[in-house]
Amino acid sequence: MGSIFSKTLREQRRALAWWAFGLVAAVVLTTAFYPSISKNAASFEKLLGSLPEGLRKAFGEDFASPAGYLQARLFSIFAPVLLLIYAIGAGSRAIAGEEERQTLDLLLSTPVPRRRVVLDKALAMVAASAGLGALLGLAIVLTGPPFDISVGITNVAAAAADCVLLAVAFGGAALAVGAGTGRRSVAVGVTAGAAAVSYLIDILALSVNGLGWLQHLSPFFYYRDPEPIVHGLDPVDAIVLAAIAVIGVAIAAWSFQRRDLAA
Amino acid sequence: MNAPAPAVSVRGLTKSYGRVRGVVDLTFSVERGEVFGYLGPNGAGKTTTIRTLLDFIRPTDGRASILGLDSRRDVIEIHGHVGYLPGEFGLYEHLTAREQLTYLGSLRGGVDEGSIGELAERFDLDLDVHIASLSHGNKQKVGLIQAFVHHPDVLILDEPTQGLDPLMQQAFYRLQDEARERGATVFLSSHVMPEVEHVCDRVGIIRDGRLVAVEDIDDLKGKAVKMVEVRLATPAPSGTFDRVPGVREAVAFGDRVRVTMAGPIDPLVKALARHEVLDLESRESSLEEIFLTFYGSAEDDG
Repeated sequence: MGSIFSKTLREQRRALAWWAFGLVAAVVLTTAFYPSISKNAASFEKLLGSLPEGLRKAFGEDFASPAGYLQARLFSIFAPVLLLIYAIGAGSRAIAGEEERQTLDLLLSTPVPRRRVVLDKALAMVAASAGLGALLGLAIVLTGPPFDISVGITNVAAAAADCVLLAVAFGGAALAVGAGTGRRSVAVGVTAGAAAVSYLIDILALSVNGLGWLQHLSPFFYYRDPEPIVHGLDPVDAIVLAAIAVIGVAIAAWSFQRRDLAA
Repeated sequence: MNAPAPAVSVRGLTKSYGRVRGVVDLTFSVERGEVFGYLGPNGAGKTTTIRTLLDFIRPTDGRASILGLDSRRDVIEIHGHVGYLPGEFGLYEHLTAREQLTYLGSLRGGVDEGSIGELAERFDLDLDVHIASLSHGNKQKVGLIQAFVHHPDVLILDEPTQGLDPLMQQAFYRLQDEARERGATVFLSSHVMPEVEHVCDRVGIIRDGRLVAVEDIDDLKGKAVKMVEVRLATPAPSGTFDRVPGVREAVAFGDRVRVTMAGPIDPLVKALARHEVLDLESRESSLEEIFLTFYGSAEDDG
């Protein structure tokens, strides 16, 4: 069975297969509809024009170009949310799940430091998210061209990597809450709530003048701006999201190390 | 060389949980090679003590060490030397028993597949069944196997026989004897006296989070009281046997007298000789009864 890392991934292989299937299906359904939508681009853009400015910016305004279409249909919300749900679930389960199912006592009675358990589980969460992200990119690269979607591989990779970074940022936060409280539902609730608020803040700041400063508190802002599928990955944005993940894992290790375990 | 540090040493250990009772100022030690029973009613603080030894919970005050290693500072080294069976534990339901045991073994640097198989055979456990479909008793066997399989120097077992049928309890006792023969120390908790009486050299009694006694099992048996029940041809007036040396209590009902006594029985026999005795029955009290005599009703205030 090997290490905690490989065991954590192995036990998720069936669930991950379903995530992969769902993700690829979503990509295929998106790319396959591009030809019919690009033909009617004018009417879609009129429809978009009727939306409030914030939403319009959030979805992307350039609906007709392949990159703009992928941004609007896939990367504005659908793909990042799929990866987010996975990562938040994995992060919440990592420690709190084992603690609630009382498997933690036997695991920690072995000569393995608590911080290594946290680290192994964090790496498993990152690896699985990265795997899903890679599959997302690959599916776009493979199924795009037959439907006239030609976007540079670098930009697809950038957009997929951006999704992964956003996911592991919240996954790291979920790990921290779960490891600190020992309660899985609290970790899922708090982190999913924070992700929803973060998304709303980003949208709101786009539409309301004078709220621009607020965006900088929102991980979704660093995810969305500038849209990597169009502009490539901004290194500062990537570093901010990665830093949130690293800080989350560090807090998880620190708080888990110093607290009593639930009986 | 100094004498080796005790297998388990607990000094002034206190754990408070706000208003909820934890353990208070525990001090005791367990020598190497000893089988030590930690006895007390449910909720007395047995599990709290054990989880503190393993650094799962941290003491409010005091300290504990295992093989001279500090429970807070040297936790990883301690875990390498200890085989631990929790009182309540979960297993990975989607794994088979073999996979669970191999996984835990790999985190200890690998354990011999053959040893796992051999222990499973002794406990009559099918290793290739998914844990989700194992009964409580079979899960307990998985817990016992993972505690013994790496031949630890110290075994810390929280209620090891719960859920095991009598045959499997015997298998466990044999395993424990073998561990003792190779010099391992066993610290086991229980809420039932007969189990402790059966297998332990010494016993510590905990009640309401406090250690009320640490006794040698043999010493305890020396304190044994006898129950003597006599049937007389004609009822003796009450108080007849009260002043006989060694008698703690004599209760007359009808033509019978029930005498509780410690020490030699001869004075009682001499006193009885003045009466026509129809029947006489005598038995040793169990350790359970001894405890009730010395330390009050331990089972009542769990």
